Amino acid sequence: MSDVPRTVDALGTWCPVPIALMRRAMTGSAPGALFELLADDPLVAIDLPAWCHDSGHVLEEMSDADGVWRARVRVVANPRGAPRR
Amino acid sequence: MRGVYFDHGAASPLLPEVRAEMERWLAVTGSPMSLHEWARGPADAVEEARADVAALLGWHPDTVVFTAGATEARNLAVKGAMWARGANPPVLVADPLAHASTLAACRSLTRIAGELRLADVDAEGRVVVSSLAALAPGADLVTITHGQAEVGTVQDAVPLVAAARAAAQGIVVHVDAEETAGLLPMHDGLGADLLSIGGRVMGAPAWVGALLVRPGTPLHPIIEGGLEESGKRGGAHDVPAIAGLGLAARIAHREMHARSAWMRACADRLATGLLATPGVRLNGPPAAERLPGHVQVSVAGVEGEALALALAARDVAASPGSACTFGAGKASPVLEAMGRDDEAARSAVLLVAGPSTTDDEIDLAVRAFADSVDTLRRMSPDAP
Repeated sequence: MSDVPRTVDALGTWCPVPIALMRRAMTGSAPGALFELLADDPLVAIDLPAWCHDSGHVLEEMSDADGVWRARVRVVANPRGAPRR
Repeated sequence: MRGVYFDHGAASPLLPEVRAEMERWLAVTGSPMSLHEWARGPADAVEEARADVAALLGWHPDTVVFTAGATEARNLAVKGAMWARGANPPVLVADPLAHASTLAACRSLTRIAGELRLADVDAEGRVVVSSLAALAPGADLVTITHGQAEVGTVQDAVPLVAAARAAAQGIVVHVDAEETAGLLPMHDGLGADLLSIGGRVMGAPAWVGALLVRPGTPLHPIIEGGLEESGKRGGAHDVPAIAGLGLAARIAHREMHARSAWMRACADRLATGLLATPGVRLNGPPAAERLPGHVQVSVAGVEGEALALALAARDVAASPGSACTFGAGKASPVLEAMGRDDEAARSAVLLVAGPSTTDDEIDLAVRAFADSVDTLRRMSPDAP
């Protein structure tokens, strides 16, 4: 599994859009796939860990600099609450 | 319709291949956003179009946000970037030759608080680089019009973008390329953060466009409510129009040079013919710096609207001065900004040739123009 993340650029959008974009991008991805979220809504610092906790996806890193949050999330098998395809 | 068409600045015919592509998608049911199999075809069409538009402009497909036309793209650029930045009050820099919708979006943002600074232009519509650089410090956004829709001036955009960036760290740079995308080559989106385009110039519908967003540029949607276009433009995808734009971009990528060369030749023939009438002056720069196909002239002793109507009565479709502000009852602010007097602004008429324009059509338009000017001058006590 590649560790080059697929980037979800949510800069300028406000919660819940960043989380919804991540959820949509990750839907159908193989377990182990890595995603990177870029967001500048401060609420993402609360919403993303909470969503990862609920869904089971693994929040591997999260940092902020100059008002931009970068977070890496790894897909798990059978996440909770995922839409069925 | 009878007659000859020189109003490509207002509307242009669809390429036959684009029309066929659009008709194909009109018959298909399915939202690109759905998860079932009916979504697959439309979703693939939208992503293919995204790749084709990006390739035309030298950017990555992920940068493309589809919109309903260039006017929405310009509004999204200006308002979306400032809403995302939280600029309060916003300080904006524009060229005074910007499209009416760009200036309207800027004025709307700065109506209550903030500032809109307008850069100087020279007598042929070129933005003065030192003026732009002097206005940029402290500004949040600068917007530059690559191809001016009335006089046809094509800006040397890359030095302007560089001057704005050098003068103001972190400034957001928008370039409006509606008139040039598909006619002039572009690399790396001319260096802009945001690049707006429309379908009309390349033979796609005028009601589809796109905003290209450089990665790392925050943008808040002005139409909210869905996750379409990466959350940056809510609302159902217009799949037929987007597929049409993608195909038009692919064709433009292939045929751009031949198309532009022909339209420049048309403009040369047209300008030579129109300027043969005494008292007619070309507005804008020489042909090499003008949009291919564009000819705007001011005619001594004649009102632009009256001339456009006289041409229409002779089966020639043209616009009075501007294709976009007809009916506003105002002289062109573009010519005013270029230092032309009120008479020149009120007597302007715009003829824009397209890729399918013929020499015979140009010759017919030139004869109709000379006859119209002669007739109107005979009716005017002020005529030379």
